[in-house]
Amino acid sequence: MPRPLLHSLLSLILNQLTRVLHAVCSVYKQNFLAMNSNSSNGTHSDDKEECSVRPILCELGVITRPDGSAILTQGHTVVMSAVYGPSEVRMQRLQVDRAYVETVFRPKAGVPNTSDRLRETIIRDTCETAMIATLYPRTTISVILQEMEDSGGLLACSINASCLALMDSGVSMKFLFAAVTCGVTEDDLIIVDPDADKLKECKASLTFAFDSINKNVIASYTSGTFPVQTYNNGLEKCRQASDFLFDFYRDIVRKYASTL
Amino acid sequence: MNGSSEGDVVVPGDVVRLTGVKGKVVLGPGLARTGEGVHATKCGVLRKGGNNIFYVDSRQKKYVPAKGECVLGVVTNARGDMFKVDIGSSDEASVSYLAFENATKKNRPLVNVGDVLFGRLLVASKDMEPELVCVDSHGKKGRLGVLPDGGFLFTCSLNLVRKLLRPECPLLEALGKQLAFELVVGLNGRVWLRTGSVRETLLVADAVLAYQHLQPHQVQHAVDQLIYQLSSS
Repeated sequence: MPRPLLHSLLSLILNQLTRVLHAVCSVYKQNFLAMNSNSSNGTHSDDKEECSVRPILCELGVITRPDGSAILTQGHTVVMSAVYGPSEVRMQRLQVDRAYVETVFRPKAGVPNTSDRLRETIIRDTCETAMIATLYPRTTISVILQEMEDSGGLLACSINASCLALMDSGVSMKFLFAAVTCGVTEDDLIIVDPDADKLKECKASLTFAFDSINKNVIASYTSGTFPVQTYNNGLEKCRQASDFLFDFYRDIVRKYASTL
Repeated sequence: MNGSSEGDVVVPGDVVRLTGVKGKVVLGPGLARTGEGVHATKCGVLRKGGNNIFYVDSRQKKYVPAKGECVLGVVTNARGDMFKVDIGSSDEASVSYLAFENATKKNRPLVNVGDVLFGRLLVASKDMEPELVCVDSHGKKGRLGVLPDGGFLFTCSLNLVRKLLRPECPLLEALGKQLAFELVVGLNGRVWLRTGSVRETLLVADAVLAYQHLQPHQVQHAVDQLIYQLSSS
């Protein structure tokens, strides 16, 4: 067979394959959204316009093999997360006084790049702050995150998904944590939990993670330029919005506690 | 702050109020003492056992060894003085060849790789390798030891195991009236099961796994359905 013909044939097959894969993924996502839409859709606070977040849906224990797993959608951003551990540790990672916490972030397609690595580090540090890692010395706790759809606020959604997976896994934690993103518009207005379209019009985006006890900041990640005052304003608005997430966490636990 | 009390849903960081207790209190898994009071460290329902033991009932799947618990393990290495047993925790447990009934230096117990072992945890600490024994303090095996061939081992959540081990378990009662089976439940989330036929084994295993999501009043109906399935084949 001539070479160009072979090439075109191969690319045709590849094209078809990706199309089928995308179709399967979107069908799964739609099913998941449809399944959950009647349960908790639109329950977020509409009265306080400035600190309302996009609708959140979550399911725990979606994958059977890991020790804890969750799928979380915030608006149209979807992340699936899994926790393994405390389990056996590789020799070079061994810490005699605490668990080694590792995070793997997988993008929707392709291999992880540097920005994914950065995201991994932020998530790892956030998880490690909340966990009581000293309870599990000489072990490793792995948090795996799979991006399924990014429609703005992917980092916040990943952090929240990792918290939910940790809750499902039963790893001891000092507190829960929740992350909220806000965007800063050209005229220094703050949009809490913007979607991808709104985020495009923003000159900066700020992501904060809070603990559930005192609502202190445990992680902060920003991009773009903005005045200090805007940062503080955004922080306060995100802090208010995090209350909604913590209430949501408690509702989820209550929902799953009925089988205990 | 008000604090949660028994039967409440708790999440990590919640302040827990230990009500109606006199004297010593034992904090079980999911609770930790922090300076001024007691905090929850796991998600779940706050429960109180006998002897003023408080703990959080959670959906945990990973086993963390605790001293005195009976667990099911699979032998992974049966050479030398210490056998290695996989009990589902982060470290493999070890069991001495002398920790079996009637075992002496001359009379080694017959243990092979792949055998299923029912043992009690003698040593379980976060800093040490867990150690099992298959005898009680009088040197008698009781119900411990290597389980016979022909059984079926499956895993389930730790919560389901605790549910099965409650003194009044409606599922096992209802099943026992209809079928003959042997069931060994390890607190590490493993269940060993032996019945007369493969079909029965699979159905009983399914029933045990389904019990996780059943309310007590639904159990009888589920068991009746299972018996009907068995008889109709």
